[in-house]
Amino acid sequence: MMSDRQIIDGCARHERRAQQELYNRYSRFLLGVCLRYATDKAEAEDILQESFLKIFFNIKDFSGTGSFIGWLRKVAVNTAITHYHKNLKYRYHVDIEEYVSVETGVTSFEEDFFTSEELYKVLNELPAGYRLVFNLYAVEGYKHKEIAEMLGIDTNTSKSQYSRAKAVIRNKLEKLGKLKNSYSENG
Amino acid sequence: MRVRELFRQKLENAEVIPDVSVEADLMRRLALREFLRFIPSRFNIYYLGGLVAAGIAAGLLLFSGTGILNKKTPEKIINGQDSSAFAGFINIRVGQPLTVNVDKRADAPSNVVAINTVQEQKTGTGRVFVDKTGTRDTNNINPAGGIKSFTKKGLFSDSSVDSKKLKNGYISDGVLFEVSALKGCSPLKLHFINKVNSFDSCRWTFGDGGYSNQKDPDWIFDVEGEYKVVLQVFGHNGLQASSSVMITVYPRPKARFEISPEKAVLPDDEITFFNYSSNAVRFRWNFGDGNYSELFEPKHRYTKFDNYNVGLVVYSESGCSDSLVVMNAFSDSEYFIKLPNAFIPNPGGSTGGLYSSKSDEVAQVFHPVFSGVADYQLKIFSKLGVLIFESNDVNIGWDGYFKGQLCNSGVYIWKIRGTFINGEPFVNMGDVTLLKK
Repeated sequence: MMSDRQIIDGCARHERRAQQELYNRYSRFLLGVCLRYATDKAEAEDILQESFLKIFFNIKDFSGTGSFIGWLRKVAVNTAITHYHKNLKYRYHVDIEEYVSVETGVTSFEEDFFTSEELYKVLNELPAGYRLVFNLYAVEGYKHKEIAEMLGIDTNTSKSQYSRAKAVIRNKLEKLGKLKNSYSENG
Repeated sequence: MRVRELFRQKLENAEVIPDVSVEADLMRRLALREFLRFIPSRFNIYYLGGLVAAGIAAGLLLFSGTGILNKKTPEKIINGQDSSAFAGFINIRVGQPLTVNVDKRADAPSNVVAINTVQEQKTGTGRVFVDKTGTRDTNNINPAGGIKSFTKKGLFSDSSVDSKKLKNGYISDGVLFEVSALKGCSPLKLHFINKVNSFDSCRWTFGDGGYSNQKDPDWIFDVEGEYKVVLQVFGHNGLQASSSVMITVYPRPKARFEISPEKAVLPDDEITFFNYSSNAVRFRWNFGDGNYSELFEPKHRYTKFDNYNVGLVVYSESGCSDSLVVMNAFSDSEYFIKLPNAFIPNPGGSTGGLYSSKSDEVAQVFHPVFSGVADYQLKIFSKLGVLIFESNDVNIGWDGYFKGQLCNSGVYIWKIRGTFINGEPFVNMGDVTLLKK
């Protein structure tokens, strides 16, 4: 069993075995990250591959301070952002008006009520821009100011996109919850 | 649980198993990238290139060693009658007559060049000729051989104009035309004069995408830059000639400023002029009251209220200028009314309250400074609330007397109300201290 340090050193020397080990150890986690930013699994796997290529070629830049997994996540997130920008022209632009009217409820959700697959699905259905901001803010825990810098948008845009994304998600979750309830009531 | 926590808890460290094909694909891409990049520990394209190069070098060495590669000496091409004197070509081509191509043989003596042929579609007109001695310039010929072109002047026989000298206010550059200036500030309007006496047609290209077929066109260069203006003249028999000149258009600076405070009260406020000019290195401010400044951002205090026209002229490095004048710069501050907080009445007796800015130099009358006041009422109360003075005329203030008696020194309350000439009402109150000498 190789330690993270051994893997990092090995990858820095482009050793095939270390690269393999790195992939085996972290690909599932990183795909979990990528999937949040992608519309479907195929796209997520594309981002994953790009991320790994970046990781393999830039691993010597990993300082060794701070958590390795955090660094890996950062690379994946940055790759996802690059991917988003690169593919921007292929995306459908969703009319904002559609979402502005969504009321923000105050419903709170039970942690175990939704499976992670369902949450992924909700995320995947979001317009790409909303999804990006929501992930960066809610899950990755970046500040709006940082997000604005990363995406090259205004801080207020980040804030409003986040609140709209949240409203859409809440709406979707509520629907999903009602659906589930009706299922459980019926059977 | 809130949406944010829900997603973070569920998805922050969620794991999803990638497809098996992803790994294989990734490793394939990795191998390719590693091949294309230089990585010392791996065989890559650079090593491959090195190998190939080494192989070729080895092969060449082998061949040259056996003498298979024999250098072929190029054939000598000799033109003209005397091969020792005419070692090269100067070829004047119809359609591009001012570009003289010097085709110089590498094996010729490097300092000998002669004009060999002059090509004309039809000879015998006598209008185009080449000065065989005056225009020859061996310095322009690249000694390493090959082709070098240079602009040839004096193609037309009209040589009465001394090149690059002012004549009748116009600059002659090249021989075919004159231009009113060679440089200037954008937008630069130039007048071009075609000096060729007889021609069928001419075409001016101005280097900014514009052209003209007029004989003596005017042209305005809007954008800064360097422009090559070319005049081509076409004679009959397909003869043509051209001259060019470089025109330099400098950027014009922009004069921009703002006055602060926005609603200044003159003469009380010190006015700051914020300079937003661009491209400028020198500034000249005219404050409109006869004072000037050359500072970047001057401050100025006016001595009295008036409508001033504030002007700024800026100059760029290349001497271009721009100006901006704000007319009635303080018109926004036209309407105001203010009252002092102390005055010293004249102990010599009641003056009736009439004042003027001159007579009131020692502040013997309590009165407002104002501008643009239409209706006005001033009331003065004692501390007990007794009305002791009232005026409906803005030009009549309180002289400090009540019923012919000078009031005691102390604090009095004033109240003003009225409207400015733009209809805006004002109401204000405060206190004033009556002082005695």
